[in-house]
Parts: sequence; structure tokens; C-alpha cells
Amino acid sequence: MRMVRFIREGGKAMYLPDFNYYCPHSVQEACAILADLGAGAKVLAGGTDLLIKMKHELVVPKALVSLKNIRSLADIGYVEGKGLILGARCTHNDLVNSTLLHQRYLSVAEAAHQMANNQIRNIGTVGGNLVNAVPSADLPPILIALGAQVTLVGPGGERTLPLEQFFTGPGQTVIAHDEILTEVVIPDQSTTGSTYIKFGLRRSGALAVVGVAAAVTVVERVIREARIVLGAVAPTPIRAREAEERLVGNAVSTELLEEAGIRAATACKPISDIRASAEYRRDLVRVLTKRSLRRAIEQGHV
Amino acid sequence: MRDNYAVIGKSVPKIDGRVKVTGQAKYTGDLKFPNMLVGKILTSPHPHARILHIDTTEAERLPGVKAVITHKDVPPLKYGISPARWDENIFCIDKVRFVGDKVAAVAAVDDETVYKALKLIKVDYEVLPAVFDPIEAMAEGAPQIHDEYPRNINTEIHQHFGDVEKAFAQAYHVRTDRFVGQRTYQSPIEPHSAISMWEGGKLTVYTSTQSPHYFQYYIARQFGLPMGDVRVVKTFVGGGFGGKLEPTGLEFAGAVLSRLTGRPVKMFYDRHEMFAHNRGRHRQIMEITSGVDRDGKILGVHANFIMDGGAYTSLGIATAYYAGAMLTLTYDFANYKFDMIRVYTNLPACGAQRGHGAPQPRYAFECHLDMVAQDLGIDPLEMRLRNARKPNTITPNQFKINSCELEECIQQARRLSGWDAKKGKLPRGRGIGIAVGSFVSGAGYPIYRTNLPHAAAIIKVHEDGSAATLYTGATDIGQGSDTVLCQMAAEAMGFVYERMKIVAADTETTPHDFGAYASRQTLMSGAAVKQAGEEVKKQLLAMAGEMMQVAPEELDCREGVIFVKGRPEVNITFGEAAREFFVRKGPLIGRGAYTPPTLGGTFRGAAVGTSPAYSFAAQISEVEVDEETGEIQVKEVWDVHDCGTVINPALLHGQVHGALYMGMGESVWEEVLFDASGRILNPNLAEYRLPTALDMPKITSALVDSFEPAGPWGVKEVGEGATIPTMGCYANAIYDAMGIRVYSLPLTYEKVWRALREKRNADFSQNRQMAEAVPATPDEAARGDGR
Ligand SMILES: Cc1cc2nc3c(=O)[nH]c(=O)nc-3n(C[C@H](O)[C@H](O)[C@H](O)COP(=O)(O)OP(=O)(O)OC[C@H]3O[C@@H](n4cnc5c(N)ncnc54)[C@H](O)[C@@H]3O)c2cc1C
Repeated sequence: MRMVRFIREGGKAMYLPDFNYYCPHSVQEACAILADLGAGAKVLAGGTDLLIKMKHELVVPKALVSLKNIRSLADIGYVEGKGLILGARCTHNDLVNSTLLHQRYLSVAEAAHQMANNQIRNIGTVGGNLVNAVPSADLPPILIALGAQVTLVGPGGERTLPLEQFFTGPGQTVIAHDEILTEVVIPDQSTTGSTYIKFGLRRSGALAVVGVAAAVTVVERVIREARIVLGAVAPTPIRAREAEERLVGNAVSTELLEEAGIRAATACKPISDIRASAEYRRDLVRVLTKRSLRRAIEQGHV
Repeated sequence: MRDNYAVIGKSVPKIDGRVKVTGQAKYTGDLKFPNMLVGKILTSPHPHARILHIDTTEAERLPGVKAVITHKDVPPLKYGISPARWDENIFCIDKVRFVGDKVAAVAAVDDETVYKALKLIKVDYEVLPAVFDPIEAMAEGAPQIHDEYPRNINTEIHQHFGDVEKAFAQAYHVRTDRFVGQRTYQSPIEPHSAISMWEGGKLTVYTSTQSPHYFQYYIARQFGLPMGDVRVVKTFVGGGFGGKLEPTGLEFAGAVLSRLTGRPVKMFYDRHEMFAHNRGRHRQIMEITSGVDRDGKILGVHANFIMDGGAYTSLGIATAYYAGAMLTLTYDFANYKFDMIRVYTNLPACGAQRGHGAPQPRYAFECHLDMVAQDLGIDPLEMRLRNARKPNTITPNQFKINSCELEECIQQARRLSGWDAKKGKLPRGRGIGIAVGSFVSGAGYPIYRTNLPHAAAIIKVHEDGSAATLYTGATDIGQGSDTVLCQMAAEAMGFVYERMKIVAADTETTPHDFGAYASRQTLMSGAAVKQAGEEVKKQLLAMAGEMMQVAPEELDCREGVIFVKGRPEVNITFGEAAREFFVRKGPLIGRGAYTPPTLGGTFRGAAVGTSPAYSFAAQISEVEVDEETGEIQVKEVWDVHDCGTVINPALLHGQVHGALYMGMGESVWEEVLFDASGRILNPNLAEYRLPTALDMPKITSALVDSFEPAGPWGVKEVGEGATIPTMGCYANAIYDAMGIRVYSLPLTYEKVWRALREKRNADFSQNRQMAEAVPATPDEAARGDGR
């Protein structure tokens, strides 16, 4: 869908419109500038979504507030009792190469590795991927499956909420125009496995036609807890709760996973676009749900 | 004998390899000239609309704008690359015919100003009904796109050789299948660009082109200039694949803008504009009927096609003819009928894309042939062996085939791929398929009628004998013709490749050549180069004879050394003799020109498809299909080519890989899509999915021994041949893997998924019927279960 909105009228300019540019050194300063300039100002991270939209004049901000000088937003760290913290300005390749993620949630690094291409992964950021809120974005499903929280900082202070509650529609989130997403926290947890399967129409540089993430807690072949998150099949990433409920308390079996797949397929609300029909997406949800569950159950956080 | 060559047959490094990998090579977009302006074209937002009024005043008033032009400022003469159907104007006069049609242009001091100025041009349109499907476009009452072409029919072809009806009547089995080929775009990595300079009555154009000659010819014609006053210079080119054969609005509008401003004007298309300019593969509906005898020998074929040409002709007449003409090359049958209608629609114009016209019909035919083989219970490879063309034969449409090792290509592909061990024996989800192809080694006739030679070359040996420069109009667009032709020049002269220099594709300094299309340069430009080299050698040996007091016939020259035959220790160097030649006689120059012999029949359209020589290829591929998602993975491909003598093996295999890559993209991934108003939905490299390195399979490119008498040293084409079998080859492998047939390109994952689901449903209900009739064996019941 995203690309469909990029269609320009014949002859319409493919040139960046004029804007003022700010690069503050702290989150507070950035928020103050945003508050001051009003809705015409936008945060700039890697620019891999924003600048393209601007070239196509889908958004024409009066000002861009770059995060590039706010170093603190680029860290990946672990805080005892809190969890694993991904700074909003971490690039996808920062995730791909993070030892901390490799040790704890390889599934997140793998999801990042499946995105775009190396050039984009070198500059596109976690925060941008979340705030941009495209239904097919690759990071939200796995992060929601792992119960991630996001921190938003505005001129009035800071708030934290589950990522699951962050998205409100295509391109829409709860963030206010003068707020900055500063970090994503993956809390400590007892899950035994998680994974994200992206189905794209070629091996690299393809957006997800369907993305399915699963996180499970399995004890002695019995599923204690399961979270299934579907991407690209609804206006926002969605939990497949009926499927999750079917799993919890039951011993792992092929039939069970099949059934979870069918329930997830029934629950999703896909649309048809240039990449796939709704029908195809729905069936892919069935297949990928079962496959992602199998992988999370058998292989851990991969 | 062939082992005896000193320079050809070797994988010498590309002559421009170093400047390209170090980024020193300058493409048109890299060039800057003092005072240069930037220009851009305003295009239509509507697929079909009458232009009521164009107001440029505001744009003209913008500071930095130097000129704004519309149809009023340019010659009204229609142009096109197909002389029989000149149907384009530099700017639309009365109406626009597709989203992206050219309306006006601006030249200004920088990019920013140009873009701003474009927005200030006001165009009032009266929107007209539009049509996007060729069958609808032919219907009574459909919107009329060009007044001169009733029912929007651009080209109609009806050819009949032998008697197809009689052949079908006598056939043991007759079968008809219908296929659809999709619109694709060449997507060269380098965007089109041109810099025009109109100074003192002379127009110079630096451009990214496949043919300086055709550009020069058509630009001169448009502006009423003698060709000598138009200089077209090719820079380095980042790929063309058929899309850069004809001049675009960039050259025409740029020239006018330069004349008006007196300054150089650089123009370019962005990626979206490239897709709109298009000239890529036609969408084509293909119905094929053939009749065979009990053993699978083809008796007659009827090809009945309809093409969506888009809004203009481009090279489409040739495409339409080629689509049918080249079907006769690979298999030997006597009766052939070809019907084709090329139809105008309100979409971007289609033209020549790698394999020009041949790949989609080949996909259709190779699928069809597999199904015929299946009907008869014959192995598909065996089916092809039984029908494969033999050397020294003539096709029903009167193409003379000299060398042809198709049978050996098939046999070698069979051995390399392990066909016999794999066919029908691979695990579920894996499959193997075969298809063949053939292509011209240069067109027998040029695009417009002329008796000019097809290629010419000059070699000038440097005065001190230390190097030699080849001057050729041949056009290196990345495929490596500069390298191959320098190898040929060195071989013919008895010189070394490392001391060769080249000046190419500049209409003022190099001799005429038609350029890079129809896979013509190795054979045709090569023939001219060989002749030029031999002329140098002859003069040089005569001089050496004088210097050495030996009769020239007793001398030979090889790798820069002139020696007495049989007594190599008696020698002088090429350089010594060349220097002495200059001292005594002036410049040492060799010249060559090549004109193909008169080829082909006398029927209407007989010229299209003629060639001095034809390449042949067999391709086998192995694929894996995910039976739940329809995802296709090509595991391995074996391409065996008969391309005559090989001048540079590394470049040759590079061409096979590249052609296969493009064929692969068209097979599974690529398609230009439109919305209901004729706007391109995927004019970008994100959603127009060219395969990536990760999608590529392992490729084995092998050759058979072959010598083509019509080519210099026995050469023929390779650059387009390997695109042709690929689509049919994958389709057949998918069938082998899953028992499903997808009747339209591209063979997307979703189409495969859908066909698999339909097959499961059909199998299921069939099994249920059987189960009701007879008690199911456990085996059958298992197969019915969910499959
Ligand atoms: C060729 C290509 C391929 C792509 N492939 C994929 C893919 O496979 N999968 C995928 O998911 N995405 C893909 N994308 C989209 C894009 O790269 C990602 O969404 C990326 O993560 C965006 O990050 P960014 O830093 O570039 O965001 P920007 O473009 O800088 O910003 C995006 C939006 O987020 C806002 N924003 C950014 N950071 C913050 C913050 N910290 N706080 C508040 N607001 C913020 C901006 O104001 C803007 O509205 C692709 C893009 C391209 C160009």
C-alpha cells in the first residue's frame, strides 16, 4: 500500500521541497524546537521513509529536526531489572550486529537482517520504523511479540507504553507531534523462543507481503504462553489472540499448530494491493503462523 | 586451427574495466560543460486528453529560467524509429495519449529552478475516455487514439507458409494453448540522459545511446539538418537492453532548448520517467496450435497473437514481426501460419527488449511443446531432439541457417544437468525443465531503408609503431564490444591486445555503424574490423618485405613480431615496420566495411528475422516450489550455447549470465503494473522487482564446438540468446515439480499458489468421485487427503 501512495501525477517534481533544518544536541532541546514550530516540523532520523515522502510531496514539512547529534539515542544496552534497551536512533544494522541481541533475542537481529538492503540498514532506524507505522514494517511484530515497551519524551515529560498500544492506523500512532520516541525496552521474560518470518516477493529489498512473529514459553512440550503478531494484514500489526488462546495449556502437536494457523488466518483483515491479494495473504498467515510457532518452539530465539 | 589464434579466444581483461571499477569512467550524467543549463520535460497526468491551453508565462518569469518550450517552439514533424509509422511529436500538439506523454520543457540554471518552473506551467486538458487493453481497444466504439489508425490497429500481419490446415488434417494430434506475456521494462541501471549543444549551426549531443547512428539520422531529419552537422557522441553507457536505441524527448527538447539559449543543456529522466518513456517488452496474448505425428514430429504450427503496443509505435512493428518470425528457427517444420495484430492503447509505448519479440512466444511455444509431448507420452527432451533444426537448412519463412548445433546443445545440457537421472525422479517440490532458443546475429536489413554498409572500421597505427587505434561506430553499452573488437583488430593485424586503443561511437570521428541491437556487433562490426586489420597487416608485411629483403608472401605477423614463415628467428617488430612505413609512405591505415548478403524471401515482412547467422541454445533448470506458499526458488541452471567461435570466453559467459538474469526476472518477478487511470503503480526499483544477487541460482554456462561460415573467424551472437529459453524453461520445471501450469507471465508465487490450490481441489473432487465408484485403496485415500 505504501508504494501505491507514492504515485505522482505525471510531471510532478521529484525534488525535495524547501525546509528549515535543525540538529539539536539533546532530547529536551529537540522537543522544545518541535513544540515551538508546531505541526509543520518533523523529526528526521535516517530519512529513508521521510525524505522519500517529501520528494513525492506526500508530506511537506516546514522544518526538519534531526536526531543525529543526540548520541544517547544510539545505544543498545542491558539494565538489570529493566531489560534490553534499544535506543531509537539505532540503525537496523546496529541490531543485526548487536552481541547483546545475539545472546538474548537473536530473533530481533534476524528480523532486522531481513529488512531492505545493506545501504538502508546502515541508515534506517528503529524509531523511524516504529513511528512511520507502515502496516508491513518488519520490526513491530517481533518487538510486540517480545512484549516491548516504548518511551516517548515530550516537553511535558516522559511516558512509557506497550508497543502493542502504540499503533492506531496506517501511518498513525499515539505519538504527539512534539514527542520523541527515545527507546524501546524488551523486558526480561521467561519466553523460551521467538522468531519472525517475513514473506517477501524476492530475497532482498522486498517489503513484507505478510510478516508473522511468534514468541512462546514452552515447558516440557506444553505451551504455557504464546504471543502471535501479524504484520501487513491489518491497518496495524495485530495479535492473533484466538490462535494464542488455542495454544495455551496444550501439548505441542502438528494439529495444534495447524489449528492456530487457521485461527490466525481467520482473525486477520488483509487487503489486496499490487503485491498480493487478500486471499493469498490470509492463506500465507495460516502457513507462516504454523511455521513460526514450530520454529520458536523447536529452536529458541531465532 | 582455432587453438592457433594469438589474441582471440582469450579472456583478456575488459579494455574499460579499470576506469569503470575505479569510478573514473564518465557517463553522460557526469559530464559538465561551462555555462551548462539543466532541462526537464513536463508530462501529461492523463492517459488521454485534449490539450486546450498551455500557459507558460509564470514559469518564464521565475528567476533562473532561461527557456520554456511547447509544441509551438519545435518542428511539427512526426518522428519514430519505425519509418512506416512515424507517430510521435517532440511535444504533443492536440492531445496527450498516455500518462507521461510530453507536453513542454524548461531549461534553467539548476535542478531546483527547473522543478519549480515545471510546476508553474499551466495546462488545461479536456479528459477523454481511455483504453488500456488491446482487445477492448479494437472494439467498435473504443476511444480512437490516433486518427489515422481505425480500431487502433497499429500493425497487422498475416503470413502463411506451406499449408497449415492440411498439416493439421493429417496430424495424429492437434493441440491449442493460450498464453499471456506481461509488460516488462528494461530497467537499465543508468538513467537516460543527454547533453545538447547547438553552436554555430552545428548540433552536438552527448548521450546514453545504443546507436549514435540512428540518433544522428533521426535528429538531423527532425531539424532539417545535414547529417554532417549533427554530431552524436556516446559516453560510457550503463546498460540499454533495447530501451536506448531511439532518441527520446531528451535529445529533441534539449537541442531546441540549447538553440534558444545558446548554452549546453543537460536533460535526464528520473526512474519514474524512465518507466513512462518505456519502450520495453509488449504485453502479448499468444495462441498456439500445432499438429504432430504419432512420434511427436511437428507438422505444422499456427501462431495467433495480439500485442498491446501502447500509445506509439517505437520499434513495435519489428517486434510484432519478430514475435512470429523467430518461432521457426529452432524446430524443423514445413507449414507455418502467423497472425498478429499490434494495437494502440493509452499506455507507455513498447519497443525492443533483449531478445526482441522472441522470448514470450518462445515461452508459449516451449510450454505448449511440453504439453504436446505429455499428451503423446514422450519425454520433453526427446521431443526436442526429434524436432531440432539441423545445420544448412532453410526455415519455412526462408531464413537460411548455416551452422546449427542445437542437437548437441540439448545433448550436452542433458549430460551436465543429469536430466536422465532427474526427470520424473526428483523429490516432491523439485522439478526440472528444458527449453531451447535461437537468435539473430545482426539483422539482415537496417531499421530504415538505406544501402549503407552495416558496419565500418578504421585502424590507424601510431606513427612510432607503439600502439594502434581502432575507430569504430560500434557501441559498447557495457556488453564489452570495445574489448572484443580490439581483440579482433589485434588478431587481424598480428598485433597485441595490450597496445590497442579505441575511439568508438562518435559520429564525427568514427566510421558509420548501426550500433548495439539485434546482437549484431561481434559478427558485423567484427567483420569490418577484421578487414581493416588485414589491410594494415598486408601493408605492413609489404613494408617489412622491403626492409628484410624477403617476399611479403613469405612473411607473417603475430603478436607484434614480423617473421619469416618457418624461420621465426628471422624477424623484426611490428613497431619497427610501422614506424618505417610512416617515414616512407605516411599514415598506416586499414579500412573495412561490412554489408550482409541479400537475405530472405520476397513476401511482406520477409526482411524481419533475416540474419547472416543464428545462435542456438538449450537451457535446463531445476526449481524448488514451496507447495504451501507457491514460492519459487531456482536452484540451478545449465545453459549450453552454440555461438560459433568465441572471442572472449569471460565476456561471453558474462553475457549468458546477464541474459539469463533478465530472462529470470521476466519469468517470475517483473511486471509493470497500472491503475485504472493508466498510471504506473510500480515505477521504482522497490516494487518493480528485478531479481537480486540472492535470488540468482548457480549457473553453468557451457559451449558446443561450432563454426559459422558467415562470421569473421566463425563467430555469431550470444548477448540476447540466453534470455529467450528461460521463461519457458522455468515454467516447464515448475510443471515437473508440481504438475501445475501457469499460463501467464510472470509466474509469480501467488499464481503458483493459486494453481496449486486449484489442482488440489480438482484432485480432491476427482478422488472423491473415484472413491464413490470403487473402494479406495489406502494409497489413493492418502493422496486425496488435503493434496
Ligand atoms: C529501499 C527501501 C527499502 C525498505 N525496506 C524496508 C523493509 O524491508 N522493512 C521495513 O520495515 N522497512 C523498510 N523500509 C522503510 C524504512 O527504511 C524503515 O521504516 C526505517 O526504519 C525508517 O527509519 P528512518 O530512520 O529512516 O526514518 P525517517 O525516514 O527518518 O523517519 C520516519 C518517520 O518517523 C519519524 N521519526 C523517526 N524517528 C523518530 C523518533 N525517534 N521519534 C519520533 N519520530 C521519529 C519521522 O518524523 C518520520 O515521520 C525501506 C525503505 C527503503 C527506502
